[in-house]
Amino acid sequence: MSNAKERKHAKKMRNQPTNVTLSSGFVADRGGKHHNGGGKPQKQEPHPGTSRQRQTKIIAHSLPEPHVSEQSSSRVTFKKKGGWKAGPEGTSQEIPKYITASTFAQARAAEISAMLKAVTQKSSNSLVFQTLPRHMRRRAMSHNVKRLPRRLQEIAQKEAEKAVHQKKEHSKNKCHKARRCHINKTLEFNLRQKKNKWLETHIWHAKRFHMVKKWGYCLGERPTVKSHRACYRAMTNRCLLQDLSYYCCLELKGKEEEILKALSPMCSIDTGLTFAAVHCLSGKRQGSLVLYRANKYPREMLGPVTFIWKPKRTSSDTSKSRQLWIWLHPTLKQDILEEIKAVCHCMEPIKSAVCIPDPLLTPFQEKSETEVLDEKIGKKRKRKDDGENSRPIKKIVGDGTRDPCQPHSWISPTTGILIRYGLNLLNIFSKDSFLPVAQTLYLMAVSILRLFLFFSDLTMEMNRFRLIGPLSHSILTEALKTASVHMEGKDTEKTPHHWWIETCKSPDSISLHRRQEAIFELLGGITSPAEIPAGTILGLTVGDPRINLPQKKSKVLSDPEKCQDNEKVRQLLLEGVPVECTHSFIWNQDICKSVTENKISDQDLNRMRSELLVPGSQLVLGPCESKIPILLIQQPGKMTGEDRLGWGSGWDVLLPKGWGMAFWIPFIYRGARVGGLKEAVVHSQYKRSPDIPGDFPDCPAGILFAEEQAKNLLEKYKRRPPAKRPNYVKLGTLTPFCCPWEQLTQDWELTVQAHEESSVASSLAGEESDLRRYEVSCAPMPEKTQLSDEVGISINHSTEPEEVMDTECQDQAGAARVIDQDVSENHVAATGSQLCVLRSRKLLKQLSAWCGPSSGDSRPARRAPSRGQQDLTKEACLSILDHFPRALVWVSLSLLRKGSPEPHTMICVPAKEDFLQLSQDWHYCGPQESKHSDPFKSKILKQNEKKKMARRQKRGHAISEGLAVGDSAPGQEALTLGLWSGPLPSMTSHCSRALLGFVTQGDFSMAVGCGEALGFVSLTGLLDMLSSQPAAQRGLVLLRPPASLQYRFARIAIEV
Amino acid sequence: MVRFKHRYLLCELVSDDPRCRLSLDDRVLGSLVRDTIARVHGAFGAAASSIGFAVRYLNAYTGIVLLRCRKEFYQLVWSALPFITYLENKGHRYPCFFNTLHVGGTIRTCQKFLIQYNRRQLLILLQNCTDEGEREAIQKSVTRSCLLEEEPGEEELSDSGGEEAAEAME
Repeated sequence: MSNAKERKHAKKMRNQPTNVTLSSGFVADRGGKHHNGGGKPQKQEPHPGTSRQRQTKIIAHSLPEPHVSEQSSSRVTFKKKGGWKAGPEGTSQEIPKYITASTFAQARAAEISAMLKAVTQKSSNSLVFQTLPRHMRRRAMSHNVKRLPRRLQEIAQKEAEKAVHQKKEHSKNKCHKARRCHINKTLEFNLRQKKNKWLETHIWHAKRFHMVKKWGYCLGERPTVKSHRACYRAMTNRCLLQDLSYYCCLELKGKEEEILKALSPMCSIDTGLTFAAVHCLSGKRQGSLVLYRANKYPREMLGPVTFIWKPKRTSSDTSKSRQLWIWLHPTLKQDILEEIKAVCHCMEPIKSAVCIPDPLLTPFQEKSETEVLDEKIGKKRKRKDDGENSRPIKKIVGDGTRDPCQPHSWISPTTGILIRYGLNLLNIFSKDSFLPVAQTLYLMAVSILRLFLFFSDLTMEMNRFRLIGPLSHSILTEALKTASVHMEGKDTEKTPHHWWIETCKSPDSISLHRRQEAIFELLGGITSPAEIPAGTILGLTVGDPRINLPQKKSKVLSDPEKCQDNEKVRQLLLEGVPVECTHSFIWNQDICKSVTENKISDQDLNRMRSELLVPGSQLVLGPCESKIPILLIQQPGKMTGEDRLGWGSGWDVLLPKGWGMAFWIPFIYRGARVGGLKEAVVHSQYKRSPDIPGDFPDCPAGILFAEEQAKNLLEKYKRRPPAKRPNYVKLGTLTPFCCPWEQLTQDWELTVQAHEESSVASSLAGEESDLRRYEVSCAPMPEKTQLSDEVGISINHSTEPEEVMDTECQDQAGAARVIDQDVSENHVAATGSQLCVLRSRKLLKQLSAWCGPSSGDSRPARRAPSRGQQDLTKEACLSILDHFPRALVWVSLSLLRKGSPEPHTMICVPAKEDFLQLSQDWHYCGPQESKHSDPFKSKILKQNEKKKMARRQKRGHAISEGLAVGDSAPGQEALTLGLWSGPLPSMTSHCSRALLGFVTQGDFSMAVGCGEALGFVSLTGLLDMLSSQPAAQRGLVLLRPPASLQYRFARIAIEV
Repeated sequence: MVRFKHRYLLCELVSDDPRCRLSLDDRVLGSLVRDTIARVHGAFGAAASSIGFAVRYLNAYTGIVLLRCRKEFYQLVWSALPFITYLENKGHRYPCFFNTLHVGGTIRTCQKFLIQYNRRQLLILLQNCTDEGEREAIQKSVTRSCLLEEEPGEEELSDSGGEEAAEAME
């Protein structure tokens, strides 16, 4: 029995009587008992094992007795029972002279008392009221002593007092009310978000979502309600709302040419439009692109970003400085920020010759320093805010989403570009206000030391809400009402919204406002946001959305009356929003700041509402109503592929800081469903777009993400007992928790190279398939001829369209070649050692054309380049592979029949016989992998035995020996049963089907109705596979989940 | 409630040999009863009643013994008790027999019964007593037990009440 158990038992038995026996030392006692009195010594001895309490008691009450009846007890004690019960027959040797009843009576009395004690005193751990019979129990007995029977009340009182002591003391010395009062609450909230910042909607989310701490924020991961399907429905039919305020915003300010010049090395025209795209540059559209380290394309990817240019107000001010906002995911922030800094500083070495040492070194030094400093500043300022400024506005600032790194400003003296950065915080860099009181001294020192580096705490935050789904228009138009134009002659001095009054003075801006309003009204009549050109931006100034909050939560329906098909709507759909209308005051930080500061608090608003004459009527604030500048950005939905185009499109709303909840609730009251991070992943999966950062294996954030994921999965795996978890070694899964892209691409490169060297004569296609034969089965010779026949057929198939399309695609191919050459030059420098993901649109288009099954008609070949198919296969493949020796391609896979893929599912190359069987039986599910042997199992067993032995030795022998064993043990690495340990063997040829790549996202797709997966495959392997496959079945691959032996057929597609 | 239901046999060991009482302890008594059951009811009886069988309380002075057995087979134990005629210990045989005083479902009821029983015995003793000195001694015991009874009567479940009373008594 353990110690605790023992104690518990002892506690339970403390009142129970113990056995009373005559001691074995009877003879010894007999001598003594004549002096002491018979009862006493015998009574004392039988209780060696009793609890102290009882022992003392019995001794105590048995002691005085003999003194009184000393004479009587000195007579024979053993006779006491026989004396009266069995009669004085005198069977014993010692026949007493007298028969005394006193000893007998004493023994009885002692027993009675012991029994009484046992009966009357409760011994269990239960509370008093729990010992009452059922029918006497009453509600709230444990709480209220008076409900107990009176005889028990006293005990219950004692118990209740005890329980209070056991309760945990409140750590705070304030009462509940004081703790919940606003200032203290804000203070505490600030304290709680020291590490992970809160969004403005945090408290709303925390009540309804599973929160995770990610990327320095507290974010809602998924709703606590069961809502996977409901969220999908909201995305397709209604509206899903997400808070994307955690996205980071970088601002670049400067001359247009300068900015473009600085940023151009970071992006490549190869991957699509750049910062200089005409539509985007005018400020009409939002652009998206992938950033690379300067001049490192296609390697060293930094991450995907979206950007918007501030529109030019008039055509004349081209020379003036422009503003560029780059929105990016928080995981990418660090790398991109540093790269942009580097790019901007080192742009013009001629001019900045003096500055070069500084900008090169200091930003990086400063980085680490500033982190520390920021912390200090942040704290200091928070206190000061709370102490000095008791204005209600400051509470908004301290309300939630303040950033650990205060917005930083870097000025590049050489280029005159100012990068301002905050995690979704913007600040004003205006000469008069960039140094606040709290930091003046410190910042002065800093700025003197490094003239180009500024930190300021003027934080202006942007909220970014995303509405996905066809009803987002209706919700926007319902929830937001454009601000009323200020009329002349009213009491202007009263209102705090001077900027609006100023604006309303000029007829130009009023007309602009009217136009924006008209367009916004038009939006309500458009059925889906997908109809509007992608990335359209609309600036607006709206009134306070809390004013016209509906009484009850309702669901808006798209109004069919509004859907008139007139000229204006058509023009809007064709051309998008005109450039002028994209103007918004949100670009102006002064105005944003004043808007944030002059927000009427919820409390005041409610008070005003309650003071209305007619309860429930519309609140009219007149000129006092806040005017909020916002920016609406259309988010294109699914852009690639052929089916479900425009799915998941919606609008992003940019709001100034502090207004998050004021807009959030009205949206929800109009029927928007809220999704978390998981819904964002689902959204990107159904859009078949890569998810940030999980689906960017070539950027540092993606690598980090993969590592973390692998660690988590491994931990989860190890938590299960070995018999209850899949043995991945036996299943032939080398890496169930991560995707070793590097090794995969290397293996493919090696196999192809080795093969090229070995065989010279035969055609490329034949060669490659031959190689594959080598891997798959060990009988290459007989199959080779058969294979080459088939390949010949396939070649014939695909050569047909060649002549037809020759001229048409000539130029395209030429362009591709030129790019290829450029790329190859970069390549040589990079030595092709690093992994990259193929993002060149030209090549992707080419590949996607090859992936589809060519059915003899000219359609798929149209997209293919011009040369003869055989020629193309050989040369083009080689040229592509030259440029991208270790590249990955983003592919989407849809399963032909059953099966739902999961992440880390293996994409494999089907063998010839699989195709044969598939052609014979269309219902053929797929081949099965044979079970592998587990070479590690015996090792693990041995290790375990050794450990056991060591333990035994340790136990048995001296410490010195144990030490020796302990030394030997850590030399071996810990093996986990069911996982491959040690260096991985060749990835591609480990299983019966050659491994092509891995799935990164996969699930049953509710949009398509079958399993769908997204993942990466090795470019080398893909080309190899495609060239060897018969044309009719081109693009078929096999999928095998890590915990299964069953392969399933899937069709591969590259969507551009 | 879900539990094993037991029967408790409150017995009195009667023997005129003082050495019998001397050698009385729970191990000896347990084996004695077990042997008797085996003798009377055979292997089945011994096996059936050996589950959960225990000597829960034993007082060598008063000869009170509390036996526990499972409810299903308590009759086997009960019926075996009259067949005990000897207490055998270390080669010596002491004649004795068992008086079953009470059969109860819980220890508590047995204890309650025992209190009543002992009190009755004391009163009988007091009535039959002739010697003056002894009479006094017995009276003292009786009053003590009666007082004890009264006080717990008032505060039956109180922890301290009983103890204090007992201490005050002494």
